[in-house]
Amino acid sequence: MIAEAGHYALVLALGLALIQSTVPILGARLHDAALMNVARSTALAQLLFVGASFAALVTLHVISDFSVVNVFENSHSLKPMIYKITGVWGNHEGSMLLWVTILALFGGLVAAFGNNLPLSLRAHVLAVQAWIATAFYLFILLTSNPFLRIANPPIEGRDLNPVLQDIGLAVHPPMLYLGYVGFSISFSFAVAALLEGRIDAAWARWVRPWTLVAWIFLTLGIAMGSYWAYYELGWGGWWFWDPVENASLMPWLAGTALLHSAVVMEKRNALKVWTILLAILTFSLSLLGTFLVRSGVLTSVHAFATDPTRGVFILLILCIFIGGSLTLYIWRASALKQGGLFAPISREGALVLNNLFLTTACATVFVGTLYPLALEVLTGEKISVGAPFFNLTFAPLFVPLMIAVPFGPMLAWKRGDLLGASQRLVAAGIGALIAVAVLWAWTWGGSAFAPLAIGLAVFVILGALCDLAERISLFRAPLPVSFRRARGLPRASWGTVFAHAGIGVALIGIVCETTWNSEHIASMKPGDVAQVGGYSLTFDGTAQRQRSNFREQIARFTVRKDGQSIAVMTPSKRNFTTRGSSTTEAALLRRGVSQLYISLGDAKPDGTIAVRMYYKPMVLLIWFGPVLMAFGGMLSLSDRRLRVGAPKPAKAGRALQPAE
Amino acid sequence: MTLWFLFALMTAGAAFAVLWPLGRPAARLTGGSETVVYRDQLDEIEQDAKAGRIGEPEAAAARIEIGRRLLAAADAESTEPRSSHLGSHRAVAVIALAGIPLLALAVYLPLGSPQLPDFPFAARSRAPLGTQPLENLVARVESHLEKNPTDGRGWTVLAPVLARLGRFDDAARAYRNAITYSGETAERRADLGAAIAGAANGVVTDDAKKEFERAVALDSKEIKARYFLGVAAEQDGRGADAGKIWQEILADAPADAPWRGVVQEALARVNGSAPPLPKGAEATAGGMSEADRSTMIHGMVDRLAARLKQNGDDVEGWLRLVRAYTVLKEPEKSRAARDDARRALGQNEAGLRKLNEGLKALGIDG
Amino acid sequence: MDDEGFRIAGRSTSMTRKQRRLTMIGGSLAVLAIAAALVLNALRDSIVFFSTPVMVAEKHIRPGQRFRLGGLVLAGSVVRGDNLAVSFKVSDGSATLPVAYKGILPDLFREGQGVVAEGALDSSGVFRADTVLAKHDETYMPKEVADALKKQGHWKDDYGKAGNVEASRKPGASQ
Repeated sequence: MIAEAGHYALVLALGLALIQSTVPILGARLHDAALMNVARSTALAQLLFVGASFAALVTLHVISDFSVVNVFENSHSLKPMIYKITGVWGNHEGSMLLWVTILALFGGLVAAFGNNLPLSLRAHVLAVQAWIATAFYLFILLTSNPFLRIANPPIEGRDLNPVLQDIGLAVHPPMLYLGYVGFSISFSFAVAALLEGRIDAAWARWVRPWTLVAWIFLTLGIAMGSYWAYYELGWGGWWFWDPVENASLMPWLAGTALLHSAVVMEKRNALKVWTILLAILTFSLSLLGTFLVRSGVLTSVHAFATDPTRGVFILLILCIFIGGSLTLYIWRASALKQGGLFAPISREGALVLNNLFLTTACATVFVGTLYPLALEVLTGEKISVGAPFFNLTFAPLFVPLMIAVPFGPMLAWKRGDLLGASQRLVAAGIGALIAVAVLWAWTWGGSAFAPLAIGLAVFVILGALCDLAERISLFRAPLPVSFRRARGLPRASWGTVFAHAGIGVALIGIVCETTWNSEHIASMKPGDVAQVGGYSLTFDGTAQRQRSNFREQIARFTVRKDGQSIAVMTPSKRNFTTRGSSTTEAALLRRGVSQLYISLGDAKPDGTIAVRMYYKPMVLLIWFGPVLMAFGGMLSLSDRRLRVGAPKPAKAGRALQPAE
Repeated sequence: MTLWFLFALMTAGAAFAVLWPLGRPAARLTGGSETVVYRDQLDEIEQDAKAGRIGEPEAAAARIEIGRRLLAAADAESTEPRSSHLGSHRAVAVIALAGIPLLALAVYLPLGSPQLPDFPFAARSRAPLGTQPLENLVARVESHLEKNPTDGRGWTVLAPVLARLGRFDDAARAYRNAITYSGETAERRADLGAAIAGAANGVVTDDAKKEFERAVALDSKEIKARYFLGVAAEQDGRGADAGKIWQEILADAPADAPWRGVVQEALARVNGSAPPLPKGAEATAGGMSEADRSTMIHGMVDRLAARLKQNGDDVEGWLRLVRAYTVLKEPEKSRAARDDARRALGQNEAGLRKLNEGLKALGIDG
Repeated sequence: MDDEGFRIAGRSTSMTRKQRRLTMIGGSLAVLAIAAALVLNALRDSIVFFSTPVMVAEKHIRPGQRFRLGGLVLAGSVVRGDNLAVSFKVSDGSATLPVAYKGILPDLFREGQGVVAEGALDSSGVFRADTVLAKHDETYMPKEVADALKKQGHWKDDYGKAGNVEASRKPGASQ
């Protein structure tokens, strides 16, 4: 009954989505408030039903009802409870249901908290949201239905894959989805604006919190995925320029550009047409990310052939939404009232520069990710585009962007004063030069590039702090005054400071890790000592341990620094007897923000064991940076001025006064 | 019945969600407006200017800009017509009341299985043992062993069942675990070898052979192992050796041993008085009628051919196929198999040489 | 309405509206041109071709040229030497190629399973791999390898999960 009720709830959600995608638009055409408001109640009901459907699937996994194909294939009665739950979205069908649940969640949030939106805009936004939902409900019901049953259910499920039982793997896909799907709201706002044929500064203000929420989740999701790869894959890498990773990076780059261009639009009513395009592109890239990763087409065109209906459906959805919205854009964008132009040297100009570099960088990632696919379709030749390509294209584009970051907030709207901004950044520049000089001297003869890159990162961080100091008149006014000003500073400004500093922090981590990472691979026998990054690691020996469903070979290493024993590290290798598979558990030792990393290879009968040891300086900054950025985003989101929700009634009642 | 009642309730809920806004008085259906945003922006400018975050000239310019937007928005809003179309309200209501149930049933009925009850795991594992199919029992033993992988007895019980179910890879793993946890016996080694050979479609691979040799080393009387060593010899093309091994088994065997027939059959085969069977068939084809046996042999040969089509590297396999067709008196197929073999081994010179030598030995060179 | 405000602002600086637009467009084009140059340059230098052993023989790949080799690890061919040296043979069903690697092999590297290695041929025709790729999926078969095998008719359904899923859906569909 649970399975069938969940199935039926999903079908009802489809029915509601169909009504939600048509009636409100009709209402907007007829200026009929009641019809427009149908959008709101159906969006909430849709959330209720699809939520119930998702809850049903979770329940089925929890009680191990193997009469459901999806549960049978992806679960096992012996899985720990937490992995029974996370296993719900560890497979194609379940993850699609999660996707559409999150979509309905965002739709429901707009319906519930979008009181400040004009009726017709809200009706349009929710209708577009329902178009997307309809396509996904059909896709799920017809090609990826998680509620199909088996008449004679097997007694036990198929999957007890130990490797997939990992909390990092369990948490980061929903995070990414919250990001991907969150951008659907910006998309719906953009398409709604095109349908309505009008767009104004207020639009940017309304759409910004939603973009920001999506961006925060995507930032955290990417960082989490990267950290998971780092500790779980056992070879110490944290970013592989893998198509799957690129698929999440592209919407992030476009979404970051969107956040910034929406600011210009909100403040200056300019860049309107461009912002709309960015909103469309960002969600298109999210769709591409979700689908192409899921369908496997990024790694091989032939993956489509394994399940043609699914593949064709995916292509159709991509064509309709990306192609359709772009066509609508070309058709209607010229009808939108153009915004104004502005001087190149101004806050707007700096934000345009930011957009230019971010979208170009995004385009290079796009080319690098999809070029192999295009080539394979056209010529049948298989190539792989790896890290070298991205280092040669992405990195050079990011350098000017990073240099420009501190200048942006220093410039005034309309007409900025570059000289003045430079003067205010002198402190940051001097700090960066000192950092370069010190590092240069310290690593004499080493990489010439790394000190420069770190200098750039220091410049970005100090630039963000200079901006803050400037805003609160630090050192120019008495301290209590500065303190008061700091408290009065809008949260959004604080957010900018943290987010910008976050990029610099991440860059320091990236440069340090890639340049001064020391690696030592050896085959060691008990008593052997290895030297890595100034630490000496003594291999004490191995021990066997029998756990509930695996046997573990644990190696013990004593870590010494300057002769002092400081810690014991115990990497291990697990053998899952019944399934005949093994996993490697790396051992990590944190030293400040640096880490020692040991993972085991194969053991030989004579007691020697292959060991991979790394010292990774500053490595934690790589993930600390994005966390700072997300924190900045959250501060910005909590800004009273951007908060979604009902406007204050007192203000709404005030008579309109000429402002001039 | 409860299920359909639930469906009806849910459908009613969905329809209500559409009907609800239609029935509310229009006056209460107000949305937000742009002017609010611009007024907020003006307030912010005031605050920023007061706090000294922006200069007075900039504040003035911004005020002018926002003020313009505010006026434009206010103009647009005041001219916006409001209407209520009862006709369309009714149409939407009809869609909600009739369309939603119809659509829901039209989509759900072909996809769903309303007749199936829930099968939660907890309820099912309490079912009495005797009523469950073999697969379910195996699954239960397997899940027990998942938790207690060191239970050698469990593995010993499970392994032959898996082998009988045709899950040779799992059977081999089970035998290995049985050996690890319950100790090594000649019988277990021999069974392990047989499982490995089973997984390889009856081919006694090197791994399998090692197990049989180990079994014989443990107990020189181990019949199964000795028999399979004979099969291995036959598969390697050493018919005489195979014959010798089987002769010895028969010499040792008690007169009423049930497996005598099988060995005699095999022996007759290498001595040329019966068609050589493709591997794996020997053990079972013994007590069958002539027609059954012929069908089975052809089946085995076809399977071998299919496997070779997938993996063409197996020179021995090709030789066996050519020989089988010759014996079955199908010369065209035999020739075709030979040509296929050459094609498949095109890149593999050592393999080709071996193939040609083998063909020569079979007397079907060409 | 707004435009007027900008025109006023525009006159007060030395740039006209047209000049500003040209500056913007020119700047954007310059960045795009640089990016295009970077991409083309990188595509020429840093892409790696994928090849199976039989393609290696057909295409006469020069020693020293980097490429990705994919195929199945030939059963019984893995030999572990001293100091983490490993050699094994990669087969695509039609041809095999010896591979030498030094380092730790990934968990999922197994005989008879698919593998992708990156490196170059040396003068004696041995593929010197510097990376052996593996993904964390029990039923993992590198997509390139699966495709290449399928093309040559050596694909067995039980290599990849796709086959299993297909097979297992049948009971559900037939109810």
